[in-house]
Amino acid sequence: MKGVLTYMHRDFIRWIRYRVGVVSALVLPAAWLIFVGLALPVQFTGNYLDFITPGILVMTILTAGISSGSLLMFDKILGFLNKFLAMPVPRESILVSKILFITVRGILQTTIILIIAVLIGATILNPLQYGLIYLILFLFGVFIAAFSTTVALYLNDHDSFAAFTAMVTMPLFFTSSALMPYDVMPEWLSMIAHVNPLSFAIDAIREIGTGAIPIFPIALLMLFAGVILILAGHMFRKLTV
Amino acid sequence: MTAIETADLTKEFGSLCAVDSLNLNIDGEIFGLLGPNGSGKTTTVLMLTTLIRQTRGSASVCGYDTLKEPDKVRGCLSYVPQDMAVDTNLTGRENMLIFARLYGIDNPKDKVDELLGVMDLSGRADDLAKTYSGGMRRRLELAEALVHEPEVIFLDEPTLGLDVSARKKIWQYIHNLNKKGMTIFVTTHYMDEAEKFCDRVGIIDNGKITALGSPAELKAGLMSDVITVRIEGEYHPVNKDGILYVGNSGDEYSYTSENGSEALPVLADALKISGNNVMAMSIHEPSLDDVFLQSVGKQEEEQGFEEWKYRLMLRRR
Ligand SMILES: Nc1ncnc2c1ncn2[C@@H]1O[C@H](COP(=O)(O)OP(=O)(O)O)[C@@H](O)[C@H]1O
Ligand SMILES: [Mg+2]
Repeated sequence: MKGVLTYMHRDFIRWIRYRVGVVSALVLPAAWLIFVGLALPVQFTGNYLDFITPGILVMTILTAGISSGSLLMFDKILGFLNKFLAMPVPRESILVSKILFITVRGILQTTIILIIAVLIGATILNPLQYGLIYLILFLFGVFIAAFSTTVALYLNDHDSFAAFTAMVTMPLFFTSSALMPYDVMPEWLSMIAHVNPLSFAIDAIREIGTGAIPIFPIALLMLFAGVILILAGHMFRKLTV
Repeated sequence: MTAIETADLTKEFGSLCAVDSLNLNIDGEIFGLLGPNGSGKTTTVLMLTTLIRQTRGSASVCGYDTLKEPDKVRGCLSYVPQDMAVDTNLTGRENMLIFARLYGIDNPKDKVDELLGVMDLSGRADDLAKTYSGGMRRRLELAEALVHEPEVIFLDEPTLGLDVSARKKIWQYIHNLNKKGMTIFVTTHYMDEAEKFCDRVGIIDNGKITALGSPAELKAGLMSDVITVRIEGEYHPVNKDGILYVGNSGDEYSYTSENGSEALPVLADALKISGNNVMAMSIHEPSLDDVFLQSVGKQEEEQGFEEWKYRLMLRRR
């Protein structure tokens, strides 16, 4: 556990030293929210801002989480991984630290979105509802980060991995329920959106907004995150002896 | 307990045998694994530091088998890889603190201060590592490797890419560590460094150890002088009493003889008569470079070498 925290601390310092990265990570999602939520002249539901915010939250976690693999990959390419693997720290703590760091960083970004959403007119929820939203975002973050790391370990080459993330992120977002409700989607889109893991997290957060507690989606997200984590751990061990 | 022990340690990458049946016993010394690029040095270090699995054979570090008890092995060694890996956007001190915390040192701050002092980095400890010279980064990596006071330390080409004075400095630190009782396993392709600073060297070529011993012992396999001849064009071998052919590296051909200054004119004439285009000749004392040429020759022509050794013995009498 101490190893995990130290590795996370390292990634955190490296991140904040890279100022452009910090600014873009914090400004970009806010810009998205303001642009999509306020500027787009679409009106599917009463308060479009309340409708779109869960989508932007989940998208932010998605773009944050999908980079988890390249964090590990760069450590490998630059020779840090071998140094760490030759130390008496449990090896899996490197993997866990990457997934956790990326998820926590994503959570930080979503907090900014939540604040801005309220500032520009989204409905204020109660603390339990916010807690549940964070839980879903966290589970989804772990799921995506572990998935990204598994793919990175599998592809084992940075260019292919970059191509993979570019290929996955946007289509996943646009075929989810992020931008419009299912009933206004064309049928083919609605079918894809229903099985898109992104919609899954988004719908769960919307449910929270209506006052319900989405136990089933949360349990399922836990299961998904758990399975992918085990898979990532397996890939990691295979690659390191 | 021997610090490092290997028995028929072998690593194959597909059909390529990168390390071939290594048998080593290393303890309390500075051991240099010496060989040209691609000879299998890094692969050896990776196996000993539990970073890759061998294909065959076994290895133990501090008495622990690298496959059966890798955690214990990692607990008693430190590894500094060939390619420098320092977080350049962190200060030297921050880099060190990460390692101290990872190793679970009791007083990380004090330990880091101490080691930064040992490596002469105190003055620059709070500057970002990207402002460091290559030599300073190497020293920082050495300092990182020392935080948990390992019994064995593996340094893969620690002086690669450094200037002469930085290289000398690194070797001084290595020497000091060894004096405190640490076993040092170091790889290099600079023969002159190994000769000066290693207690014992193993020469590796194409994955095979071709010579093993102290630099003095190895050089004793040659006669008192070595004559190096630069020959342009085709080489025609010569055979003269008292002068033995050692081997060649590119267009430089080496011979050994008990009395170089007398042998030189004899050799020059013989070479010309055989039709060689001699460009330059020089005499020097045997160095590990010559031992390397000799050992490579031995590997290429096992039969020839036996004869060579026999003739050398005769000359000596
Ligand atoms: N992962 C690998 N896959 C295939 N071949 C490799 C791998 N690592 C090293 N080799 C090969 O093994 C040989 C020894 O390499 P290496 O140990 O790195 O040499 P050195 O460190 O002495 O320069 C080289 O021919 C190299 O190409
Ligand atoms: Mg190497």
